Amino acid sequence: MTLVELRGVSKSFRKGDETITPLDHVDLSIARGEFVSLMGPSGTGKSTLLNLVSGIDRPDDGTIIVGGTEVTALSRSKLADWRAANLGYIFQTHNLIPVLTAYENVELPTLLLKLTSAQRRQRVELALEAVGLSDRADHYPRQLSGGQEQRVGIARAIVAHPQVVVADEPTGSLDAETSEQVQTLLQRLNKELEITLLMVTHDSDVAAIATRQLVLDHGKFLQRDAVVAAG
Amino acid sequence: MTTYVLKTLWRHRTRTLLTVTGAAVAMFVFCFVGSVQEGLHRLTTGADADRSLIVFQESRFCPTSSRLPEDYARKIKAVPGVREVMPIQVWTNNCRASLDIIVFNGADPDQIRRTRPIKLTSGDWQTFSSRRDAAIVGRNVARRRGLKQGDQFSIGEISVKVTGIFESTVPAEENLIYTSLAFLQYTRGLDAAGLVTQHEVLLTEDADPDRVAAEIDAELRSGSVATRTRRKGAFQANTLSDLVDLIGLAHWLGYACVALVLSLVATTTVMSVQDRIKEYAVLQTIGVRPMRALRLVLAESTLLCVLGGSGGTLLALAVLGTGGFAIGAEGATISFQPSLGLAVTGVLVSLVVGVAAGIAPAVQAASVSIVTALRQA
Ligand SMILES: Nc1ncnc2c1ncn2[C@@H]1O[C@H](COP(=O)(O)OP(=O)(O)OP(=O)(O)O)[C@@H](O)[C@H]1O
Ligand SMILES: [Mg+2]
Repeated sequence: MTLVELRGVSKSFRKGDETITPLDHVDLSIARGEFVSLMGPSGTGKSTLLNLVSGIDRPDDGTIIVGGTEVTALSRSKLADWRAANLGYIFQTHNLIPVLTAYENVELPTLLLKLTSAQRRQRVELALEAVGLSDRADHYPRQLSGGQEQRVGIARAIVAHPQVVVADEPTGSLDAETSEQVQTLLQRLNKELEITLLMVTHDSDVAAIATRQLVLDHGKFLQRDAVVAAG
Repeated sequence: MTTYVLKTLWRHRTRTLLTVTGAAVAMFVFCFVGSVQEGLHRLTTGADADRSLIVFQESRFCPTSSRLPEDYARKIKAVPGVREVMPIQVWTNNCRASLDIIVFNGADPDQIRRTRPIKLTSGDWQTFSSRRDAAIVGRNVARRRGLKQGDQFSIGEISVKVTGIFESTVPAEENLIYTSLAFLQYTRGLDAAGLVTQHEVLLTEDADPDRVAAEIDAELRSGSVATRTRRKGAFQANTLSDLVDLIGLAHWLGYACVALVLSLVATTTVMSVQDRIKEYAVLQTIGVRPMRALRLVLAESTLLCVLGGSGGTLLALAVLGTGGFAIGAEGATISFQPSLGLAVTGVLVSLVVGVAAGIAPAVQAASVSIVTALRQA
């Protein structure tokens, strides 16, 4: 069953006189429960694609449907509500709120949903447990290591039980060992919690943990096996 | 979300503290100016100002230069519409504008008791009427000069025994010291036997004050000294005319204070939001609505402003309540008093200014381009 569907999506940016069109009528569909990794040269529009799927940016053309909702048709504040309930975003740099503790950071998205405080607490505790940081709940971001911060960021992305989680180079600023931890975690989220994941990465080893590997090149998707074979 | 606002303010506590202090100082001044204006307003309005007249010597201003025969009281009493006439001898330590003006009013003790809206908070009327150098002191003067019942108080040529302290429903009256008429008339240097400074006239219910005033002046034109009779409020405003202009100017000072708080809180909030614009982009990515981001910023600026503003207002009221401040000239005084109206105005102004100061940065936080802000390092 298709969860994410892009039809003829185009996006261009103006830089002075020239116009860059990283995405030119691209189509893509992702099934529920899939873990898709996306590679490709720098500047090909991978982040742009994630931003469009998340509804924090709008395409110039085409439609994007996620879980039956046409996100490209929603107003800015409707989009915010939609994201709160349906989307998790894992940033390359964790982007935690520095004045809030790990617990409070993870709690933020739940404050936007209609939940009782008991349900809320339960969800936050489960999410922190899933990323193995229950004992760091009261720590502030500056008291955590880079890997721990990223895991708090992941807990925040999954706490609202979203339909789809996007991740933009989630291991991009981590050392090999912590990157390993995060990869295992993402795989578990996909397998055990059946979260649909769309992840951008520059690391082919990281890309390999996904169930489907795509490469975006000159506005076209290639199946990675094909690329490897051709190369 | 409240936690987020509070913790953000706490994180930048130096900035928060400076802004709150600045807002407090400005609102302190605002309330002080406000109380002066309230004092002036009270002086020229209300029953005491409108329903009683002051008969003064024509074209004289300072109380020392107005000299009317005491027995004018009889003639005035005969004018229709006049209920009661109280001859008053005024003595003041300073005829020019001053912050520590002492004004004595000498009049018949029984008449004072009967006609003035005053209540003794210590001492008794009996001693006041029986002792020649007895004086009852207005609460404000007592506070300012640290006087209490039983004290001997001397100033210039005058030395009185404080036999009581009084409060009045007319705040300006609390800046007065009452003695008997004869005592002030025979004070050395005044040399005013048979003469008084002014007559205070109380009117009957249905009398038209301006008509009665005109009749009194017409009636006394044939006497030895010509008079000018005005409503008490108008008389006092005229006596204090220099000060009234100054107070009108102070009005602008009040507005300046509000503008100061506005720019201070707005600057702080703009800086705070610009520093954290990426945070607002992250919040919106998580699903915080633009309107909610807007409210978060408004909450921040309003909290800063109300905290500082209420603090300053409270402090001003406390100082006004204990200081017994008054400004006066030529025997008339304006008292600065704390009031509920002032408290409400102070807090309300802080609230409105707080919201206004947050509008620009709030719109910025709400309408930020999420992608652009997130791409910032
Ligand atoms: N907000 C923007 N304004 C102008 N140009 C932009 C903007 N966002 C992206 N671009 C341009 O669009 C192109 C695609 O950007 P994008 O960030 O999607 O690339 P990417 O594939 O994620 O690259 P990387 O692997 O380096 O992260 C780039 O040329 C970039 O300069
Ligand atoms: Mg990118």
